[in-house]
Amino acid sequence: MGRFGDSRVSPSLSPQVVSWSRSCAPPALGAHRDLHTTPVCFKTRAARVRVGKGDKPVTYEQAHAPHYIAHRKGWLSLHTGNLDGEAGAAERTVEDVFLRKFLYGTFPGCLANEVVLKRRANLLVICLVVLQNLAPSKLYFLIGYSETLLSHFYKCPVRLEVQTVPTKVIYKYL
Amino acid sequence: MAARRLGGSSWQQMSLLSRRWCLQAGSAGKREQNRYSSSSTTLEKTVENSEVTREEIVLPRRKTWDKLAVLQALASTVNRDPTAAHYMFQDDPFLMPRNTANSRLLSLSKESGRSAAKYIIKEFPQYFDKTTSEPNIPCLMPENLTPQIEGVSEAALKERIHLRRVKASVDLFDQLLQAGSPVSLETTNSLLDLLCFYGDGESAQEKQNEQKGDLEEPEENTSEQRSPKRQFQKSLNSSGFRWRENNNAERIFKIMPERNAHSYCTMIRGMVKHGAPAKAYDMYTDLLNERHKADVHTFNALIRAVPYLKEKFAERWALVKDFLNHMVQQEVQPNVLTFNAVLKTLRRCGGVGRGVSLSVIQEMTALDIEPSLATYEHLLHIFYRSVELQPSTIIAEILEEVEKRSFTPQDPDDANFFPTAMQACCDLKDIKLAYRLNKSMEKGDNWKFLDMDRLNAYWSKFFSLLCMMEQIDVVLKWYKEMTPSLFYPSTRSMFDLLQALDAANHLEVIPSVWEDIKQLGFSRKQDLLEELLSLMSREEHPEETQLAFAKCAEDIKAAHEQSGRDQAPLEWTGSALGHVVVLFSRAGRTQDAWNMMEHFQQINRIPTLLLVWPKEALMLPSHVGAPVSIWGTGKGEESSF
Repeated sequence: MGRFGDSRVSPSLSPQVVSWSRSCAPPALGAHRDLHTTPVCFKTRAARVRVGKGDKPVTYEQAHAPHYIAHRKGWLSLHTGNLDGEAGAAERTVEDVFLRKFLYGTFPGCLANEVVLKRRANLLVICLVVLQNLAPSKLYFLIGYSETLLSHFYKCPVRLEVQTVPTKVIYKYL
Repeated sequence: MAARRLGGSSWQQMSLLSRRWCLQAGSAGKREQNRYSSSSTTLEKTVENSEVTREEIVLPRRKTWDKLAVLQALASTVNRDPTAAHYMFQDDPFLMPRNTANSRLLSLSKESGRSAAKYIIKEFPQYFDKTTSEPNIPCLMPENLTPQIEGVSEAALKERIHLRRVKASVDLFDQLLQAGSPVSLETTNSLLDLLCFYGDGESAQEKQNEQKGDLEEPEENTSEQRSPKRQFQKSLNSSGFRWRENNNAERIFKIMPERNAHSYCTMIRGMVKHGAPAKAYDMYTDLLNERHKADVHTFNALIRAVPYLKEKFAERWALVKDFLNHMVQQEVQPNVLTFNAVLKTLRRCGGVGRGVSLSVIQEMTALDIEPSLATYEHLLHIFYRSVELQPSTIIAEILEEVEKRSFTPQDPDDANFFPTAMQACCDLKDIKLAYRLNKSMEKGDNWKFLDMDRLNAYWSKFFSLLCMMEQIDVVLKWYKEMTPSLFYPSTRSMFDLLQALDAANHLEVIPSVWEDIKQLGFSRKQDLLEELLSLMSREEHPEETQLAFAKCAEDIKAAHEQSGRDQAPLEWTGSALGHVVVLFSRAGRTQDAWNMMEHFQQINRIPTLLLVWPKEALMLPSHVGAPVSIWGTGKGEESSF
């Protein structure tokens, strides 16, 4: 399963920082000035599924590393915020994160692949690939619910386009 | 279908205009050439030529294109996709509905998802009221439905009436009266309006809030027996509230210090709506005694209530005429709804109604009132749905009127016109009328009158008519185009299709029809299966067809044997088994045929098929012992040799 918050729009920064030990600080005042550090995030390990014993099923999306975007992969979120002179890229990213979490929870255990988000003018088209676990009437209930709720939340028309698949489409085993 | 409708007219317009432009351009060009050529001739001629060629240049008028012209032109190039389901369903084989029941289930589940979301938005409006869109979209903001003004005052009462809170406004009204402050006539009238509209029941929102607690109403309703009154309320009032004795509306009406015409009118309309026609009539006589004037809506309601006031046809018509005369006296202008109400009453007046309805229509045209679709629907009912069918050509005239224009909805009964008209065409067995009706439905906005249920009924009837009247290739063409996009066939439609195939001797299409039947989910309908089997096994067919038939028979056998989750397994009947055996043996699958023969013993039937088809009997392997065992038990219904 791909990690969430893993949008291709903003690559993760990963400086390697060494934390300074406390012994350098003047002990008398008790005030410290440490450098704020993050946990280590190697960019060579981003969005890659590590090779294992050969029993881990992996989809096409997961099997390809980020440097294959625009070569063998497409984008998961399409909007014009990153073009020159356009604003709002950060807001789109935050919306994307919320939408992915929302859909992951609303369709429990049914998402076969990452959600693709397309923005056309005001319209937000959400493309899902769903497993055939639930009855069609239940799926339609969830579709109607998500469309209305997200429209009211983001104040823009939201349309869900759902494709169903009997099982997850496995590309290879790692 | 939408594409064809929208694009057709404007595309023709465009092509005509463009042709004219070319012509103009062409002629201007020729004139230009003339001038050029004339300048190359000798000098004496130039003067004359310039005079001759100085014609007026007619500039073509500037075309103004509709804003949507480009889109409409593009849309006209795309035809309706005959294999797609309705637009509201997702385009996926797992999610597409299979038959009518399924499509209704899926559309209702989508709708219930939407109302679940609306409930969440209503409960937690604080998460949804940030205006992030520019300009603000009011329909996507949470609605503010809680009354703002507190306290006991007339303004608070007005606000609660505006928000449709029936109970709260009645309580507030009582509080105001007890406190002694008078409530103005206007406010009281609007309170009466609210009460009469909802019939002293709750409005939809309050019902939602009280669903768990309120058990009184359903108990009352179930304890009553089926009486004409219940049928009356079902026909007039969909919310199912009865006008109780001395309910809030009546009580408030009685304690009002002064009443004007509006109060009486509201009460009359409420009583008619909720099933108390006699009281409405009494209230009307009160209104006349007080020398008030009723308005047109009140008269419409009264005319609608006439069938429940009088029993005999002639009396009903006399009462209607009475009301109309009163309208004239009180100088109230009738509108289209008045005439529709008159015709609706005449529907229940039998022969009297038939004689008078045409003069009603003439009156309508004399008053310059455009008839709506409901008018035509009532006419069709009067002339075509009565017990004694008398021949009448009124449907052709009605169709002529309907074809001319596109209608707007004016009466709730408008929506029934198209199904009723198609039913009349079916009864008259006239396919040309049906085609004309289809054309008129595609014109303009007329298609909007058919919702999903009515669409299905309409197209099912059209398909039955087609199967009865048209050649088989036309039928098959329509069948391919109509299912599953326009309607889902019912068992009735499949029977009709099989009959048509039988009549045209086109039985080799049956295997594909069987595939459709399986997809529609009818593979467990006993009578349909019997019909299929008997059609397949009646005669000999060429080799491939026999093989295909044998495969169908095998499918049917599998359908009989598997039992669903909570369904009993299908019982074999003697004839069905016999047909299956014959089909297997004709295709050369003798072992399967013999296995089927053993089923006969299980269901205690005796096969008669061997007498009818001796050739097949000879093909069966001759087991010496087996025949004795099958026919030994002999407790069958069918008599054998």
